[in-house]
Amino acid sequence: MTHSIDSKANDREPINSLSVDRRKFIVGTAGVSLAALIESNSAAFAQAKPSITVRIDRDLASLDPGYRTGPMDGNVIRSVFQRLMKQKPGSAELELDAASDVKQTTPTTIEFTLKPGQMFSDGYGEMTAEDVKFSFERIGLPPAAGGKESPYKGDWVLLEKVEVTGKYTGRIVLTKPRANLFDVALADVSGCIAPKKAVEERGAEFATKPVGSGPYVVASLEKQRGAVLKRHAGYAGAKPAFDEITIRFISDPKTTELALRSGELDFAILSPATAEPLKSVATLKIAEEPSIAYLWIGMNVEKAPLNDVRVRRAIRLGLDVDQMLLAGYNGKAPRLNTLLPPQILGHWKDAPVYKRNVAEAKQLLADAGVKDLKLKLLVLNQPVFQNMALVARALLQEVGITLEVDAQEGATYWASGKGDPAKNLDLFLMRFNGKHDPNFIMQWFVASQIGNWNWQRWKNDDFDALFTQAASELDKAKRADLVVKAQKLMDESAAFIWLTNEMNAIVHQSWMKPSGVPGWLDWQYDNFGKTS
Amino acid sequence: MSGETLRYLGSRLVTTAFIVLGAMLLLFLLPAFVPGDPATSLLGPQASPEYAKRFIAEMGLDQPLHIRLVRFFGNALTGNLGTDVVSGRSVASLVWAVLPYTFALTFAAIALAVLIGVPLGIYAATHRGTRVDTVLAFVSVAFIAIPSFVIAIFLLIVFSVWLNWLPVLGVSKSGAFLDEVSRMILPTIALSLGWIGFIARLVRTSMLETMGENFIRTARAYGISERMITYKYALKNACIPTIAVLGLGIGRLLGGAVLVEIVFARPGLGRLIYDAISLRNYPVVQGAVLVVVVLFAVVNLLVDLSYSAIDPRIRRDGGSGQAA
Repeated sequence: MTHSIDSKANDREPINSLSVDRRKFIVGTAGVSLAALIESNSAAFAQAKPSITVRIDRDLASLDPGYRTGPMDGNVIRSVFQRLMKQKPGSAELELDAASDVKQTTPTTIEFTLKPGQMFSDGYGEMTAEDVKFSFERIGLPPAAGGKESPYKGDWVLLEKVEVTGKYTGRIVLTKPRANLFDVALADVSGCIAPKKAVEERGAEFATKPVGSGPYVVASLEKQRGAVLKRHAGYAGAKPAFDEITIRFISDPKTTELALRSGELDFAILSPATAEPLKSVATLKIAEEPSIAYLWIGMNVEKAPLNDVRVRRAIRLGLDVDQMLLAGYNGKAPRLNTLLPPQILGHWKDAPVYKRNVAEAKQLLADAGVKDLKLKLLVLNQPVFQNMALVARALLQEVGITLEVDAQEGATYWASGKGDPAKNLDLFLMRFNGKHDPNFIMQWFVASQIGNWNWQRWKNDDFDALFTQAASELDKAKRADLVVKAQKLMDESAAFIWLTNEMNAIVHQSWMKPSGVPGWLDWQYDNFGKTS
Repeated sequence: MSGETLRYLGSRLVTTAFIVLGAMLLLFLLPAFVPGDPATSLLGPQASPEYAKRFIAEMGLDQPLHIRLVRFFGNALTGNLGTDVVSGRSVASLVWAVLPYTFALTFAAIALAVLIGVPLGIYAATHRGTRVDTVLAFVSVAFIAIPSFVIAIFLLIVFSVWLNWLPVLGVSKSGAFLDEVSRMILPTIALSLGWIGFIARLVRTSMLETMGENFIRTARAYGISERMITYKYALKNACIPTIAVLGLGIGRLLGGAVLVEIVFARPGLGRLIYDAISLRNYPVVQGAVLVVVVLFAVVNLLVDLSYSAIDPRIRRDGGSGQAA
C-alpha cells in the first residue's frame, strides 16, 4: 500500500478570519506576488540543484562491505560499490549490475561474466574476476591466520569457493543449494565487489576510505557529521541525477522535522506520527509505506507457567493488538498476524487474527491451574514500546495477570536474552529488521539460536526442518509453502504475539524523488532523482 | 616566580594528577559494573556467538583484570586512547575530530554568558530593589530553569523555521568560516542562556555581599567615587566566585552539551560519549571521558591559579581556597 499526500499550506486557516480592506488587499497582493516570485525562483533553483542532503538516524561507522555496522552503512556502500546484480529502482526484483551475465548452471554453481571496462576509483584499475573472488571469499570463508572474520559471514553461508575462469569470468561454488543466495548475498552489501589491491594497501583505513566502482565515491566521512558522496566520473553505468549527496547524521526527529521545513534537508524517513505535522508544508511530499521490520511479544516457553501452552494462549487472547498499536503508533501501523510481512515470499495471508476474549483467557488459565499470575514484560525504553506495554499491562490485569513492565535502555535490553540470564525472561517486546527473504527472517527462531536470539527458547524440530528445506528450495512456490507451514507451527506454539511491521513515512522535498527497495530499509542513492 | 607561588602550583598539580588517576581507575572499572554486552549492542543479530567472543577479545575484555589494568594505564599515560573496534579508527582520532566543535561551542557559550551575565549582575546589584532588578531576577531564574534543549528547539522554530534567518543544522556542509559561524549562533545562545542567568545572579549576590564589607565603607569614607568602588573593589572581589563557577561551567560544557549537540545535529565530545555509552563501545567511552577529565582538571587548575593571582591571600592559605 503506497499513497502520496500532497500537502497544502493554510489548511488550518479559518475562513471566517478573512476580512479584507484596501490596505490589506494591496499588502496581500504584493505578498502573494513576492511569494510566487520566490516560489518560481526556488522551483527553478531546485531543478538546477546538483546536490541533495539526506538524513540518517544512525552514524556511519564502517564503509567496508564486510565490516559494516548496519543499514545506514549499507546504503552508502551500495552506492559506492557495484555488485554482480542489484535491485531495480524502487523494487526488490534484481537486474544485472557489474555482470553482463549471471546464470545458475547447477543447484550449487553460479557462473558470471563481468562487463569489461568497469573502473575502480582512485586509480585502482579495472574490475576483474579476481576482485570478485577476493571480495566474496573475504567475507564468506575463514580468514587467513591473523585475519579478521567478517560479522557477515552468514550472508555467504554454504560458499565453498569462487573460481576464476578468465579475466572477466568466474564460478561461484556452493556446498549445498541455497535459495536466498541472490537476495541476501549476491545483490546485497555482502556481494559488493572491492579491489583486492586497495583493500590490502589501505588495511583498516579501507573502512573510512573505500574504493569501489559504483556511481559515487566517498569524498569525506566524519564521525557524527556523516559523509559526502560525489559522483564517480569513472562509473560505467548510468549517470546519477545528483553530483553530490550529503548524508547528515541527525539523531533527533524534531531537528529532522525542522530541517525539512527549512529546506536544509531534502529527504528523511520518519515515523508517521513525527511526519504528521509536515503534511501542511507545501514544499514537502510524504508517502507512507509499510516497513519490513517486525514487532512481536515473545514468551519464554521454558519457564513455568509459560511452559504450558494454555497459559500462552490465555495471554494471547487477553491482549488486544489493535489497542496496543493505537497506543504505540496512533493506529498508524499495519497489524501483523504472522511472522512474515505481506511483502515477503511465503507470507501467510490466512493467518488467524486473534480477537480479545477475556472469558476464554480466564478459562484457559483456570484449566492450567494458574492463579494470581505475575509476569514481567521486558521492553526497550522507547515511548512506542513503553506505551504498548502499558496497554498490555492494563489488558492483562482484566484477565487476572499482573504484568510488570521492565523498560531497559538498549545495551541492557539486548543483553537480556543471552546466556543463562535469558532463562529467567518471561515476556519481551521485540523488534527486528527484516530482509526480502523468508529464511533471513526465520533464522532467529531455530533451536540453535536459543541463548542467542531465540529469546522464546522455542524448540521445534519440524520448524527447523522446514527452515532447512526452504533454505535450499529453489522453486519459489514450493518454498513459499514450506515457509507458510513453518509459520503455522509458530502459531500453534502460541509463543509469539505478532504486533506490526510498522509504517515508514518517506518525507522529501517535492522537487526531488527518493528511491528505495520496498520496506525502505535499503535506499538507492544512485536512483534518487528530480521530479520532471 | 616566588617560592610561595611554586609551592601553590605544585600542590595544585599534585591534586590534579590524583583527580585524573582516580578518574582513570573509575573508567577502567566501568565495563565491569555497567550492565549490557558490547558485542550484542554493537554487532546486532548478524554476528555469530563465535564472532561476538572474538569481538570481546579485540576489546581486551576477556583478559584478567590486572593485565587489563596495567595495559589501560600504560596506554593512557603514553597518550594511546585505544582503538574503536567498530570503525578500526583510533579513539584519539575520533576525539580530535570532534574536539574543535566542542571547544568552539563551549568557549563561545561561556564568553557570551560572561559578556551578558556580568553586566546584568552589576546592573542588578547597583540598582537593588528597583523594578529592573526584579525583572532581571525573574528573567535570570527563568533562563536557569528552562533546560537548554527546550530553548534550542524554541530558537530553531523561531529563527530557522518562522523567520528563516539562521540554519537548523549546527554544522556547515562546506566548512566555510562564515557559514560555520552562522551555524554556531543558535547553539551558542541555547547553551549560554542558563549560564547568563546564573552568572547574573552570582555577580549580583557577590557584589552586594562585597558592598557591605568594611573596606568598602572605608573607601566611601575616603571619598572614593562610587564608580571606582563598584568596578575596582566590589567587582574584583565578586569575580572570584564567578571565575570558580566559570571553571566548573567550562568543564561541564566540554562533555555535557550533549542535548544541544543532538538538537542541532552538531558533533561534539558529549555526543560522542553518549553514543558510545548507548552502544557500550567502551574504548571510545574511556578515551573520550578521559579527555574530558583531563581538560576539566586543566581548566580548574588554571581557574585556581587565576583567582589566586587576583587574591594572593588564597595562595598564602596553602590553597585552601578560602579568601580571608
